Amino acid sequence: MSYEIPHRWIVTFRYPLEPLPPPKELRGRPIIDPNLCIGCGACVRACPPNAITEEIDISKGIKVVKIFYGRCIFCGRCWEVCPEGAIRLSNEFELATPNKDDLIQYVVLPLHKCVNCGKPTEFTERQVVRVLTMIQELPIERREELRSKILLCRECKASFLSKPMELRGSEVYEKVKA
Amino acid sequence: MVNFWVRRSEGIEREELLRLIDQDIAGLVKEKRVATKNFVVYVVDRDKVVDVVKKLLEYEYTRLSVIAGNDERFFRRDFSLTYIIAFDKQDLYIGIRTYVPPHDLKVKSLAKEVRAAWWHERENRDLYGFEFEGLDDPRKLVLPEYWPENVHPWRKDYPYNKPVADWREGQVDYKPIKEDKIDADVVAFGPYHLVNDEPIHWRLYVKGEVIVDVEHRGFHNWRGIEKIAEGRLTYNQIPFIAERICGICGYTHACAYCQAVESIGRIDIPDRAKYIRTVMLEIERIESHLLWIGIACHILGFDTGFMHSWKIREHIMHLAEVLTGNRKTYGMNLVGGVRRDILGDRLRKAFDYLRFMRAEYRELYNMLISNTIIAKRTRDVGILPRDKAISYGVVGPVARAAGLRIDVRKDHPYAAYKELDFRVPVYSESDVLARTLVRLDEVFESFDIIEQALDRLPRGPILADVGEIPPNSEGVGYVEAPRGEDVHYVRTGLYNKVQRWRVRAPSYANVPSVKEMLIGYRIADAPIIYASVDPCLACTERCIVVKAVDNGRTYSWNQLVELSRKISRRMGL
Amino acid sequence: MRRLRPKLRSVWVFHVDAGACNGCDIEVLDVLTPFYDVERFGIKLVPTPRQADALLVTGSVNRQAVIGLKRVYEAMPPKPRIVVAIGSCAIAGGIFYDSLSVYGGVDKVLPVHLYIPGCPPRPEAILFGLGQLLGIVNKKVRAEEYIVKEPIKDRGYRGLFTERIYKDVRYFLTKYVGYYDRDEILENVCEVLRESRSIEEVEHRLIAKASSVRDPRLREVYLVLSGFVVEQLRGRSRT
Repeated sequence: MSYEIPHRWIVTFRYPLEPLPPPKELRGRPIIDPNLCIGCGACVRACPPNAITEEIDISKGIKVVKIFYGRCIFCGRCWEVCPEGAIRLSNEFELATPNKDDLIQYVVLPLHKCVNCGKPTEFTERQVVRVLTMIQELPIERREELRSKILLCRECKASFLSKPMELRGSEVYEKVKA
Repeated sequence: MVNFWVRRSEGIEREELLRLIDQDIAGLVKEKRVATKNFVVYVVDRDKVVDVVKKLLEYEYTRLSVIAGNDERFFRRDFSLTYIIAFDKQDLYIGIRTYVPPHDLKVKSLAKEVRAAWWHERENRDLYGFEFEGLDDPRKLVLPEYWPENVHPWRKDYPYNKPVADWREGQVDYKPIKEDKIDADVVAFGPYHLVNDEPIHWRLYVKGEVIVDVEHRGFHNWRGIEKIAEGRLTYNQIPFIAERICGICGYTHACAYCQAVESIGRIDIPDRAKYIRTVMLEIERIESHLLWIGIACHILGFDTGFMHSWKIREHIMHLAEVLTGNRKTYGMNLVGGVRRDILGDRLRKAFDYLRFMRAEYRELYNMLISNTIIAKRTRDVGILPRDKAISYGVVGPVARAAGLRIDVRKDHPYAAYKELDFRVPVYSESDVLARTLVRLDEVFESFDIIEQALDRLPRGPILADVGEIPPNSEGVGYVEAPRGEDVHYVRTGLYNKVQRWRVRAPSYANVPSVKEMLIGYRIADAPIIYASVDPCLACTERCIVVKAVDNGRTYSWNQLVELSRKISRRMGL
Repeated sequence: MRRLRPKLRSVWVFHVDAGACNGCDIEVLDVLTPFYDVERFGIKLVPTPRQADALLVTGSVNRQAVIGLKRVYEAMPPKPRIVVAIGSCAIAGGIFYDSLSVYGGVDKVLPVHLYIPGCPPRPEAILFGLGQLLGIVNKKVRAEEYIVKEPIKDRGYRGLFTERIYKDVRYFLTKYVGYYDRDEILENVCEVLRESRSIEEVEHRLIAKASSVRDPRLREVYLVLSGFVVEQLRGRSRT
């Protein structure tokens, strides 16, 4: 049985006694690929019903991205805006369950630790790596300035960048360069 | 009195008409603003506004489309009311605005003379606290009965997510106004019933079998969508909530909203996006009309027709699933274009489906029009006189069945309709049969439109670059939904959000007129008359019977449908 | 069917619209129509709650509809009184979850036995849910938790392929063909960029790709894309 135009008298599908594969265009359950997600939060901002949420736990050094399929409206906006191609709408539609807790997917990402003081920042490790690859194409002096902004936490950044170039601690500078 | 439609306007160009209007209301206007290319706003004093609106409604092919209230205390310490009047033959919308100070919210009522204003005034009274002098209907329209007085949720100082007190057992849920005054039996149906699966409550006052008066209480579906959009959502998230205004004609709402914002931001959407929007709008129209045909057949006791038409409808749902990824709530629109393209294999599939469905539909069509019972049950039933139709400002198939040649696709061309060739079926009998035939004919036209549009899909991108949308500007978006004209009034605000978004769904204009259609007919005809306007309450209300009636007999909707079917059986079906 | 051991033999259901957009309601009706025909499982849509075993609730439970919903629940026979929440709105309020006029979920008002997500759920999804009530099928979904340890994978930056050009092409394709068809074309373009040594080679390969596809729209996309990629690469090499 399939959704093709039926040239037969009996049109009733035998589903659910027999499987009925949905068309490949179907917008089913959105799935985050944990190998690709960098935890940037683009999907969180785009999601109209706020079904995707993110939480930062500085003390544990993690960021949790959570999808709740119970509230999801399957619009595919997360797929559209994800800069990494990490979230896609799959073909799964058989989501019925007696337990609401089944309808949740978590992805836990480690936070980047400041290279100077070692405290977790608000960004994930993967976000920092991604930005570092993207600034490869910039001129070298611009790149160095950005590196110091990316790799340090907010306090270290403030104390480091507020000083004139000559007075910046050389050990911090070395750490940033490394 | 209002002299509806006494001045000819057909054949007059838009500029010429604007000059005429300027002359007509010369002494009354304080300010004139051209908001977008076909939306002009006149600011007048509040004691003159009723006269100005009446003056404009003297032109032919005009309708009072929307009365949009707004809380502008943030900008200029006033509330405002905008009466938006559609000029159908000039592709023009005119807004008459009046500012009302917050300490004295009194405005003259228009509802007695222009019935289209009836629901709008009650809604603005509920949501903003306007007082309409001379409005003789004290009931709430939108808010629940137990909502506290003097709390008006649409005001800007009321947060979008603050609920009111919960309903407690024993609180009034509906108090009829006419029950004591009228000497007739009461037949209550709704809110919850099987056939029309949305909650609405009608009280029919009957003498014998004949309906003498009608009362309506709805808005069980009121979800506060406009307020959520003003509070939480950004421009590109609103199309998705707009689609969920209604699960049958949701795409028209998304389109109308996007067109309103595009007209404000002066965004030219790509041609390909226009064609894809047209295709999806027509797919939705076919789907909606087939659904209606099925429901109507069911009410008339002709279940074969119901199953047959829903079987054909299933093909269009599968086609929609292939093209957009979902059977309903297509999720195709963003401000600036559409989100999914139609590539080669899907295009081929679409043509296959359409060819197959057209053949199946022709079979159904022949079966329905050759069925004598359908003709007997619907002819000369539920007649809406032409003058009443104009006064209520009905739209869509209801208007076209009453001989009014109005169709937004022709009159205010949007998407790609200007470049496509199609016919608008018009009947003049204004009974249920005429409404049925309008819809039956429109399905064929929709097949034609989709095939033309898919044939001519232009090249190019599907989403335009959208720059900053200017704040504090306003515009209207309009779409011919399956049920008629769907108007969205949008006023932009700060921080990527709308300041006011007013949705006027087609059923909002059509459902009040059911009152006129029902009076004088038998109870057994009530279900089909009510269904003949194709009421879509989720749209209307953006908002069970479990109600006992003390005096008189109480019918549930099912008993009513049973009665309706019994009449058909007696006729020999 | 001997091997199926149904929990309930024939479920009679009553449908309540507690403020839905109509999408779920129509899909509930749709399972009665010839393609799905839920009555072959003995499931029947009944006109009154007094005969119903199960209540199918759609909608975000509005503050006005809750009056009726509670009365309908009380009117049901005391056993089994199954409540099925259909659609995102009925499960957790959907897109309306924090509006002033909704409760946001049936389980805030009544005990719920089965959740069927979807906006609206396909008739197949509703059949799958009702199949669980009958014991024909078992649930497939469960909570998933991934704890990421490893760093991000390289996209394979080789030749002219860099992260910036990836982002630019991706953004361009989102506007040109939309998010659904984007990923496949993007992967092909990335492959071309990885293999190529010079800008001329990229252009040549993309045009060759365009002439090899049969779909005219796809051909147009590849041609426009070759112009776009070359322009981007030239602009970058100039700076």
